[in-house]
Amino acid sequence: MSEPALLEIDNISKYYGNIIALSGVSTSVTAGEVTCVLGDNGAGKSTFIKMLAGVHQPTEGTIRMNGKEVSFQTPRDALDHGIATVYQDLAMVPLMSVWRNFFLGSEPTKRIGPFKSIDTAKAKQITKDELTRMGIDIRDTEQPVGTLSGGERQSVAIARAGYFGAKVLILDEPTSALGVKQSGVVLKRIVEARNQGLAVIFITHNPRHAYPVGNRFLILNRGQSMGSFAKHEISVDDLTRLMAGGAELEALEHELEASGTIVA
Amino acid sequence: MTTINESDSRDPGDAETADANRAATALAAAPDADERLAYRSVFQRLFMRPEIGAIIGAVGIWTFFWAVSGTFGTVGQTFGWLDTAATLGIMAVAVSMLMIGGEFDLSSGAMTGAMGMLIIYLVKETGELGGRGFPLVVAIPLSLAVALGIGYFNGWMVERTGQPSFIITLSTFFALIGLKLGLAKRLVDQIQIGRTDEASDFEFFRPFFAAEWERNEHEFALRDFFYTAFLALGVLILILAICELWFKRRNDPKPTGLVQFLVSLAGGIAAGIGLHVTDGAGANTAIGVVMMVCVVAGLHGWASWRYEPMGQRGSVTLDSTMKRRIGLGLVLVAAAGVVAVSIDSGSTNNIVFPFTTQGVRVIISVGLGIAGLTLLAMASQAALSVNAATKFVATSALATGLGVIAATVYIDSTTAKFRAGLFPFVLFVATLIFAWGALVSRFTERRVRDAHGDRFGNRMLAVGTLSVLIGLAIRMLFITEAELLAGVPPAKTSIRLFWFVSFTAIMMWVLARTRFGSWTYAVGGNKEAARQVGVPAARTKTQLFMLVAFAAWFVGLLVAFRIFSIQANAGDGQEFLYIIAAVVGGTVLTGGYGTAFGGAIGACIMSMPLIGISSARWNTDWRFLIIGVILLLAVVSNKGLRTRAAAVRR
Repeated sequence: MSEPALLEIDNISKYYGNIIALSGVSTSVTAGEVTCVLGDNGAGKSTFIKMLAGVHQPTEGTIRMNGKEVSFQTPRDALDHGIATVYQDLAMVPLMSVWRNFFLGSEPTKRIGPFKSIDTAKAKQITKDELTRMGIDIRDTEQPVGTLSGGERQSVAIARAGYFGAKVLILDEPTSALGVKQSGVVLKRIVEARNQGLAVIFITHNPRHAYPVGNRFLILNRGQSMGSFAKHEISVDDLTRLMAGGAELEALEHELEASGTIVA
Repeated sequence: MTTINESDSRDPGDAETADANRAATALAAAPDADERLAYRSVFQRLFMRPEIGAIIGAVGIWTFFWAVSGTFGTVGQTFGWLDTAATLGIMAVAVSMLMIGGEFDLSSGAMTGAMGMLIIYLVKETGELGGRGFPLVVAIPLSLAVALGIGYFNGWMVERTGQPSFIITLSTFFALIGLKLGLAKRLVDQIQIGRTDEASDFEFFRPFFAAEWERNEHEFALRDFFYTAFLALGVLILILAICELWFKRRNDPKPTGLVQFLVSLAGGIAAGIGLHVTDGAGANTAIGVVMMVCVVAGLHGWASWRYEPMGQRGSVTLDSTMKRRIGLGLVLVAAAGVVAVSIDSGSTNNIVFPFTTQGVRVIISVGLGIAGLTLLAMASQAALSVNAATKFVATSALATGLGVIAATVYIDSTTAKFRAGLFPFVLFVATLIFAWGALVSRFTERRVRDAHGDRFGNRMLAVGTLSVLIGLAIRMLFITEAELLAGVPPAKTSIRLFWFVSFTAIMMWVLARTRFGSWTYAVGGNKEAARQVGVPAARTKTQLFMLVAFAAWFVGLLVAFRIFSIQANAGDGQEFLYIIAAVVGGTVLTGGYGTAFGGAIGACIMSMPLIGISSARWNTDWRFLIIGVILLLAVVSNKGLRTRAAAVRR
């Protein structure tokens, strides 16, 4: 892919007092590609996305969007720049219907005399259309979100971010709480979003989820970047090794093998 | 799902064609059938509404007091409990909304009294002891501003401190009580403050807040015609609406069915007119039979015009449980009749305190009747899943049981209210059940969504309900010459009722159709999520507190215009009644679920016993016991209904 990068992250660091949460991380995010951010617990994944989402500001380094330097002071800032974040807890109200959740906070309205009323017919239709476009076959937009499966909820959240003009979609561990099948559904959604031209940033600690859908892999370990690779430069096993800090995992493997825990 | 699997491996370049393909497939499959979506029938959908338990409860309580008291069903008494329900209901609706938004307001009761006092204080002219002597045109907006300020304070404190609203508004509650008492004593040296009518422009504002309607002064010769017409039309439309939502439409409507329907309709109308002009048991019985035939034939005609007939009807197969239930049910119903007829209804001897012979008779026969009908209903419920022929037999048994009850009422009852009201009603219900059994065993039940049928059916439901309500309103608001001659006691209602209905309707619309309504559910359901997607959570909650304050101000105004003088403790403690009404109406204490309509129905449930107990000549001290029992029953049954609804939903 030779397209110019939509979002360039240049050498950013984040310090909380004397704790170095993240230091000197660089990568680039291109429209129509999935950039996976991999790392074990405590690797700095959350810090990384929070800086992109405007929750925290980087201590050092710059973020450039379309070549221009940007700085996100609040989540709203990031959203206005087209960066939408789907967190693990999904920002959904379980007792409310799918269409109300889809449009929550941005309901389409129509005027009835001096009063404004939600255009329910339009909202339901758009919800249905958008979900169908994402390949999500929702049963009934009137059903409460609480009755959807975890994968379906992720899917609705992704479709919502796409509909409200996101150019960059950040997904925070979307598969971590899901079963095998549900994870597959969400991975499909990620591919759908990519195919629609969104730049997707997919945060995960599962290389087997990341590898099939990713175009680029940023690997973090203990706040350090272990490098940013294109897909053809790296294999699943390498990913796993780098995530765990390479040598350490190998050492562990040898140790376990010696003790007979791993049957070759 | 198979269509989506293909998209996995494909190239971004293919996206457009693949999308188009998928859309086409989706269109072909959707939206009528989805094998993963269990179709919800009209009754199941109805039972998912949060307020359904309250509606059933209201009907039950009304029936109970109607049966035990001589006057509860009269227009005067109805206006009585509606009047109590009005002020309670305006508050209950606002409190319901606040509770849907996940907060409480314990200061709402004290606030109603405080606002009434404030208005009077502002208009009062008492010289040095206080009172400002403002006209109402100043006092009304000024007191509204104060009320909204208190509501804003409540909301702001809750948001700012992050403390539970229970605690914050508890402190507002005590502060208001103290202010009311202290200021009243300080300013007028009394714990009562009056009077509203001292205001210079009182007469101008009076119609808006205290206009009254004396029923006996509004004669309307054609009242009964319009009442009957609207009521009958409404009931007919409601029944047809349920058919529309229940059955599968046929592709080629059968015109002969329509003819049958229209002929039966004409027959029914003719019989109705006949009933009006003739008198005497023989003629009435004959006309009654004609009407029953018309109901069954008309519904059958309508159904064969519009709906798909059933292919296989099967043969009657009653399993042993069903047989036992039907047999025992009919025996119990008959026994109820025998008991009712054989015990002397004239005797009022106490046999076992506190029951008289009459009481024992009623308890035994009603108990037997209900037990029998329940068994029959269970049997016909079970028969629904067997086959069409069995369905028909079981529902006919249920209709027969009801017929027996109707006959008992007719033979045994000496009260005109039972003979003229209950007997035809039960007979009508029996006829309907019989007709329904005939329909469900002859026509195909709809198993998939039908957008057209659903829309048409839902509109008919709305129109039918409206028609019934208009009919009842006409009956309530006007009087006929015959009634005047018979000396019907005067009955009056006030503009409060209008405000109650309007406020409820507006708030129902706000909750269902505006962004504010959506946000109310969202902040109550999951505040953090709402905030993340850009809902101004703090502002929404503050506005809800202000809405409650507004309602309290309005109720205070209504009270000040009704009784002119307000005690310093007016309204204190009422906030629990508002919360109970909201909960009885199906609102969940933790927020995110409920309706405004439920709050209004809850208020009616609360006020009916207040009037009913005194009209049954019982000691009114029992009302608190009744309210406690109602609350307990309501939360338990609402929970049960919600669980059932959720089970159906999946």
